[in-house]
Amino acid sequence: MSDKNGNDKKLLISVENLSKRYEDLYALYNVSIDIYKGDVIFIVGPSGSGKSTFLRCLNRLEEPTSGNIIFDGTDITDKKTDINKHRQKMGMVFQQFNLFPHMSVLKNLILGPVKLQNKSKEEATEEAMALLDRVGLSDRANAYPNQLSGGQKQRIAIVRALCMKPDVMLFDEPTSALDPEMVGEVLEVMRELAKENMTMVVVTHEIAFAKEIANRVIFMADGQIEEENDAKEFFENPKSERLKNFLAKVL
Amino acid sequence: MTFLMDFKQNFIEEDRWKFILNGLGVTLRVTLFAVLIGIAIGFVVAVIRATYEKTGKLVICNFLANVYLTVIRGTPVVVQLLIIYFVIFASVRVDKIFVAIIAFGINSGAYVAEIVRSGIMSIDPGQMEAGRSLGFNYIETMWYIIIPQAFKNVLPALGNEFIVLLKETSVAGYIALEDLTKGGDIIRSQTYHPFMPLLAVAAIYLAIVMLLSFLLKNLERRLRNSER
Ligand SMILES: Nc1ncnc2c1ncn2[C@@H]1O[C@H](COP(=O)(O)OP(=O)(O)OP(=O)(O)O)[C@@H](O)[C@H]1O
Ligand SMILES: [Mg+2]
Repeated sequence: MSDKNGNDKKLLISVENLSKRYEDLYALYNVSIDIYKGDVIFIVGPSGSGKSTFLRCLNRLEEPTSGNIIFDGTDITDKKTDINKHRQKMGMVFQQFNLFPHMSVLKNLILGPVKLQNKSKEEATEEAMALLDRVGLSDRANAYPNQLSGGQKQRIAIVRALCMKPDVMLFDEPTSALDPEMVGEVLEVMRELAKENMTMVVVTHEIAFAKEIANRVIFMADGQIEEENDAKEFFENPKSERLKNFLAKVL
Repeated sequence: MTFLMDFKQNFIEEDRWKFILNGLGVTLRVTLFAVLIGIAIGFVVAVIRATYEKTGKLVICNFLANVYLTVIRGTPVVVQLLIIYFVIFASVRVDKIFVAIIAFGINSGAYVAEIVRSGIMSIDPGQMEAGRSLGFNYIETMWYIIIPQAFKNVLPALGNEFIVLLKETSVAGYIALEDLTKGGDIIRSQTYHPFMPLLAVAAIYLAIVMLLSFLLKNLERRLRNSER
């Protein structure tokens, strides 16, 4: 997989000197990176290297200690920015799915569009059903989350984020909580998304999958970007020793 | 035959049964509305306390909430009732039922708050994160996502609070409100037969409590069997 379509790319998110400090340690230190429309960026690295922290700072689920995040021209780290408005455009998928257990699948999907985007129930339902169909779960619209398998839950969670029509999708280890036989169905959905040029930032331990669909890969260590490159270069020509060691271990 | 005569004297003559029936009506009304006020206050206080615990925000609100909880739970409900009637509403003529509803509502709110707070704290933090990541603000996430789940979890405890409150309202006679207890006591003072009116009052409380407990058990079972 090389650069998609070869079109010139539009800057979507610009991260500048982002740091996050917890009491005595920097979980993230001076991280800068530009994310372009259509990028499929995978973030890999050892446990505790700050991957989740970085991802969660992107939509300020974690409040950065310093640095700026320019999303679609707006500095969303500015306290005056209405972060809620921008979060609608940044879909997030969690390791633990976090579906709303007291609502049916369909309600999970239309809650955001109806309450936040002033869509009519009918319109939101129609869009949700179309997306559900695409992930092969339209027959589960009226089920409740606890009646679904892990793989189904995660596909629904992805659809829930997509229903908001986001500009970027953030994934934090979306398959780590799944039984092995369910990983494939979730990866398939992500593969489809990548094909449709959805901008994606994915934290994962699925290195083979990163190799398959990422166009850029970031290696994080100790809260910093140790190495960042096009996917091909990243895997074929790792430069830093730490990345070489890491790849040797996981591949 | 003395039983029948007693019965007649205590309940039939001079329509004394009306003390019981009207008293029951007052008791139920006071309990119902007090519980509703208690739930309203309780949820607000619980959200304030849970927000403070989770985010460190709302310092002043949390302080006031703590004062409220400490004072209400640290003093007897009768004293609160007397203070509200004779001190706070001293200079205004208000319906005693209204005063009782306010007093028991404020009292109940303190207990409901702690029930609901534990319900909110028991919800997986991932739920808040999921709501916020969709673009809901804190209050919206509470309202659409956290509170409905917390409410479901604490519904049995809230039902129990209703039962407790029903019995607690029996002290409303302290402000001369003619509730069920007072109704029985009035009959006693008129007929000088304590046995029958007071036992009737006890039996009615017991019947209502048993009925409510039964409904509550059913509700709990149904909640357990529903989607969770
Ligand atoms: N809420 C927190 N309070 C204190 N320290 C934290 C907190 N969250 C994360 N950290 C620390 O920050 C560092 C980075 O954590 P982070 O979760 O971002 O790592 P990660 O790369 O996602 O790891 P993993 O692969 O295990 O998910 C770790 O040392 C972690 O212990
Ligand atoms: Mg992580």
